Order: sequence, then structure tokens, then C-alpha cells
Amino acid sequence: MRQVGCALGLAALVAAGPLGAQTMRTYGASRPVADAQPPLRTTLEFGAGRVVVRAGADDALYDVGLRYDADRYTPLHRYDPRTGILQLGLKTVGGTGLRVTSRGQLEQVARFAFAPTVPIILQAHLGASEAVLDLGGLTLVELVVRSGVTRGTVDFSSPTRGDCREALFSVGAAELVAMRLANAGCAEVRVEGGVGRAVLDFTGSWRRNTRLTAELSMGTLTLRIPRGTGVRVTADRFLTRFDLDDFARTGNTWSTPDFAGATRTLSVALTTNVAGFEVEWVD
Amino acid sequence: MPRAGNRAPLLALLALILVAPLPVRADSAAINTGELTDRVRELLPFLGSPSAPLLPQVVQASAQGGPSVDPSRLDAPERLEIELRSALREPIGETRLTVIDGIARIGHYSLGSAERHRGHVVVLKGDAEVHGQLEGNLVTLDGDIIIHPGARVTGDVLALGGKVRDPAGGITGSRQEIAAFTPVRAPAPWPAVVARRGAGLLGVFLTMLVLGFGMVTFGRPNLEIVSDTVTHSFGRSFLAGVIGQVLVLPTFGMLVVGLFLTVAGALLIPFAVVVYALLAIVAVLGGVLAVAHAMGETITRRRMARGLAVSPNSYRYVLTGLVAIAASWVAWVGFGWVPVAGTIAFLAAALGTWCVATAGFGAALLSRGGIREEFTGRLLPPAMMTDEYLWATPQLGVPAVKRPPKDSA
Repeated sequence: MRQVGCALGLAALVAAGPLGAQTMRTYGASRPVADAQPPLRTTLEFGAGRVVVRAGADDALYDVGLRYDADRYTPLHRYDPRTGILQLGLKTVGGTGLRVTSRGQLEQVARFAFAPTVPIILQAHLGASEAVLDLGGLTLVELVVRSGVTRGTVDFSSPTRGDCREALFSVGAAELVAMRLANAGCAEVRVEGGVGRAVLDFTGSWRRNTRLTAELSMGTLTLRIPRGTGVRVTADRFLTRFDLDDFARTGNTWSTPDFAGATRTLSVALTTNVAGFEVEWVD
Repeated sequence: MPRAGNRAPLLALLALILVAPLPVRADSAAINTGELTDRVRELLPFLGSPSAPLLPQVVQASAQGGPSVDPSRLDAPERLEIELRSALREPIGETRLTVIDGIARIGHYSLGSAERHRGHVVVLKGDAEVHGQLEGNLVTLDGDIIIHPGARVTGDVLALGGKVRDPAGGITGSRQEIAAFTPVRAPAPWPAVVARRGAGLLGVFLTMLVLGFGMVTFGRPNLEIVSDTVTHSFGRSFLAGVIGQVLVLPTFGMLVVGLFLTVAGALLIPFAVVVYALLAIVAVLGGVLAVAHAMGETITRRRMARGLAVSPNSYRYVLTGLVAIAASWVAWVGFGWVPVAGTIAFLAAALGTWCVATAGFGAALLSRGGIREEFTGRLLPPAMMTDEYLWATPQLGVPAVKRPPKDSA
């Protein structure tokens, strides 16, 4: 019986045969800004790899550079000039099999750049990507960032143009860091957290008062707020660790002493379950 | 020689061609290698020219149900590439392709500055140069797209396996380029991996065996002293080996600096470098062989203790020890291709070999290359340097008189 088992095991190993080769390709796409350019409604899809998003040249509506595993993905590029709907990134082609080459060989890379002058509604679905989004300088109308299981950084290195209605950060099991959010000038910021960690840094150039709505489940949310900002936190919490020593509590509301007279305010509405929440003051 | 004789006319013809006068160029009298090559190929077409440009030609539309592409939407470039490649025939002139609302061309395509073309253009196996007005989409397969200043393409362009060059911004739509396939080297099948690694292990083993037998033949006393040092002072040897590895480079630097600071010594630096490197290699290799000797001796003596009749000699010790060391690599040879397990096997074998090399290196240092016997356990300790051992009680003792049983009294 043992001999039969050994023979079957050996046969299975032999039948597995040589493993297939992977193919990496590069892809580039761009489009000039049209004369009557509608706002850009962009969806970025990128499942795995490294992603960089930033503002590009004024005359290029978008500029994309990809390096991807052609056995598993194919470039996604759809644009409707009438509506401004744009889809960019990679979509799967159903490739399967064991990846046996080194990570460096098969590392997928994506670079996206958008015209700073064209209003943009940006949805970024980052999956398991390691993303760095520098959205400073863009005419940002709305932002949605959905991060899966790896680390993502959204930075507003310089003030955006126009008025941003909303920024939504959805964190699965990932760590998402949003830097210099005040430069985004968004009226409302929303955070949907799973078991990951989100750090929202509200430094930068404040243009308006901001509302923050956070729904956390087993995740951790850290707010970095410039000292002198009036903050009010309204919490609906369950088994949540709070770190609000400098706040005055009234029922389910915590406020900084100077909230009523502050020149800039941040109103936070928290719904948390078995989560962590803390505020760090930045000088 | 008959084959050489057959080639003679061809060689003579080539020689004639090569010495024939080339057209005189006003800018340079030097012979242009490219022209020479072209001339040879022109006169000897049977030589072939794999990189020769294709003769530009129109692709005829395919029959009903034949290959057809629609370049009006270029949002699935890889699918379009597959369709175009599957339409290619050999010879290329046999290719038939229907382009919906457009035309297909083979080879270099150029649209003149005074020309205007309406409809899509698909160019196979060639570059597309636009000087004029193109109202439609432009696609190339294995070719570049060049939009010259003053030209205008009212539509999208896509270069499959090529580049898009549009310095003046003459494209109103999107520009896409997708590089040719660059396959990542396919991993070798695991039997080949096993065979290659096995051969490598065998080669290293045989090399070490030859070196070991050489040391036994010509330097047996030194080898045995280093081996005994490992056996009797393993911990001390290992520690000395670790410290020695750390100090190898600083010592080398001090040696070079010291020699450099003296006028005469500076001349010796090249020799010192070579000698130092050789000493280090000899210390490590000799140390490994000494550890192998010690391991082999231990294994052989255990076998003899079990009653096996084997010949206890240093050649056997070295062979047995090297087999034992190589055995740690056999697991990696056999299963190194297995993810995770292969890495673990490699790390285990590498760690074991490093320990062996470190202990051997340290033993070589402690024994000064097999000269000093302080750590070999051969010298009697001071406590033993008396004559008391002559009067010591025999280890087996003296059997006592058996006490008579009580009931016998």
C-alpha cells in the first residue's frame, strides 16, 4: 500500500510538469484636453502592484503608464468624450497558476497623471496595491479611495483647485494614510473602516469647515489635527477605546473648549464597534 | 576537400563583389558597411534578409467569414492585437483582412502632406508616417506611428508592438502604445533543476574529495591536529571562527595600510593581497576538510564499536565526513524547487555548512594551521603530571569476598 501511495505521489509530481512562463508588458495611453472638455469621471482599477497617481501636464487630459502581467491582466482604457467617463487600469483575464518567479520580475506598476485644470471625480479601487496618490494641484470634485489589504497613502502636497464636495476612504484590512487633507478643501470626509487602520492628517491650508463621518468595525482611526482647530466628536460607540483627554464631554459629544469660537472647525460623527479612536494634536 | 572545391566559385564571386567599385559619395570616401551589406544582398538574394523591410502593399479584403477587425473602438488593444496576428499569413502577401470602415496595409505606410484620408487605417508589419490629414483611427502592428509637424489625426491611434511619436501634438484623440511581448524566462522543469543542482553538488563534492585526499597525502599531521582541535575544542573553535570572520577584513585593511605607510612595504602590497587571500581560502577549505575528517573519524569509530570491520584511515575519514556534509545538501537538491520547503532546505543546508566552515576555520586559527596542539586534547593536564597515577586504584576494583549466607552459620 505504501508503495502504491509513493508511486501515486511521484506520478502527481511528474504530471505537474513544467510551470508556465509569465509575460510582462508595458502599456501607455494619453489624450489631449479637448476644447469643450467635460469634467472627468474617472475610475481607476488596479488589483495588485504599485500605483502612483499625481497631477500631470496641463494639456494632457490623462497619461497612463502600466507594466503588467499579461497572463493575468489586460489594460483597461475606456473613455467617452461626451460624458467624460473614463476607466483606466487593469482588469483580470482569468489567468491562473502558480507564480514561481521572483516578486521583482512580476511586479506590476501603474502611473496615472491627470490634467490639473480639468475638474475630476476620482474613484480609485486599489485592491491589494501599494498606492501613493498625490492629488495636490488637481481640480478635485469628489474622491473615493477603496483600499484592500495593503498600504496606501493619499497625499495632498499642495492645495487642490475648486471645491471638493466629498472624500470617501474605504479601508478593508489595509492601512490608509491621508496626508494634508486640509489642502483638499473637502466639505465632507467619510471613512469606512474594516479591520484596518486609517490615519487622517488634517494639516495643510484650511479653506472651509469640515465634517468627518467615520464608521469603524474593529479598525483604528487616528486623526492628526492642527492645534487651534475646534473639534467636536459625536460618538455612537460599542467597546471602543477613546483617547480624548483634552475634550469636554456632554453626553455622547466631546468638544474642545474653543469649538464655538474657532476659526476652523472639524465635526466628527463616529459610529464604532470594537474599534479604536484617537486624536493627535499637531503644532 | 571536395566540399571546399564546391565553395570556391562562390568565394571568388564574393571577393569580386567586395572589391568592385562602390558609388562615390560626395560627403565621404569611406566605404559604408551598410551599403556593402546591401550590395551583397542585392547581388546574392539567396542569402536572405530577415530584417529587410516589406514591400508596401494593400491588404485585400478577406472573403465572407474571413478575418475582420473593427478599429472604431480601441479600448481593447490586446484583443485587437490577437485578431490582427491571427490574420497574418506566410508569406505575408497572402494575408487577407477586412477592416470595417477602413483599409489595411502591409509594410511602410505614409500619408503625404497634401493628402487627406477618411476612414480607419491598419498597418501591418510596418511604420505609419502621417504628414497630411487622417480622419479616422490609426493602428499599427509591429510598427511605430510617427505624426509629423503639420499633420493631423482626427481620431485615436494605437501602436501594437511599437511607439507613438507625436512631438507636435497632431492627434486629437487618444494615443496608446503597447510593447511587444517580453516573456519572463520560464522556470526550468523540476527534473532539470534537480539534475543541474545534483551535478553541481557532485562537482563540489569531488573537488573537495580530491583536495582532501591531497591534504591527507601531503599534510596529514597538520590535518589531524586541526581535526583533533575541532573534536576536543569545538565550542572554542566555533567562537574563534566567528571572531576570525569578523576580523578578516579589518586585519586585511590594517595590513595594507601598514604596508602602505612604509616605503618598501608599499611595493609588497600586491603580493600581500594575494598571499592573504590564499591564506584565508586555505584556512577555510582546510578547516572544512578537517571537520570532515573529524566527522568521518567519529562515524567510523562508532561503526567499529558496533563490530563492523572497516579500515580506520584518514582517507576513509575524509570521504565519510564529506559524504555527511553533502547529505545536508541532498534535501535541497531533491526538493529545492518546492516553494517554501525548498527555501527551508536551502537555509538549513547553508546554515549547517556555515557552522562546519566556521568551526574548521576557527580550529585552523587556534592550531596555527595544524602546528600547535594546545587544543587537541593530546597534552596531559598538569594534574596528571605526577606519579600518583601509577598508584591509582584499578578501575575494575578488587572483588570483595562474598559474605556467607546467615543460615549457614
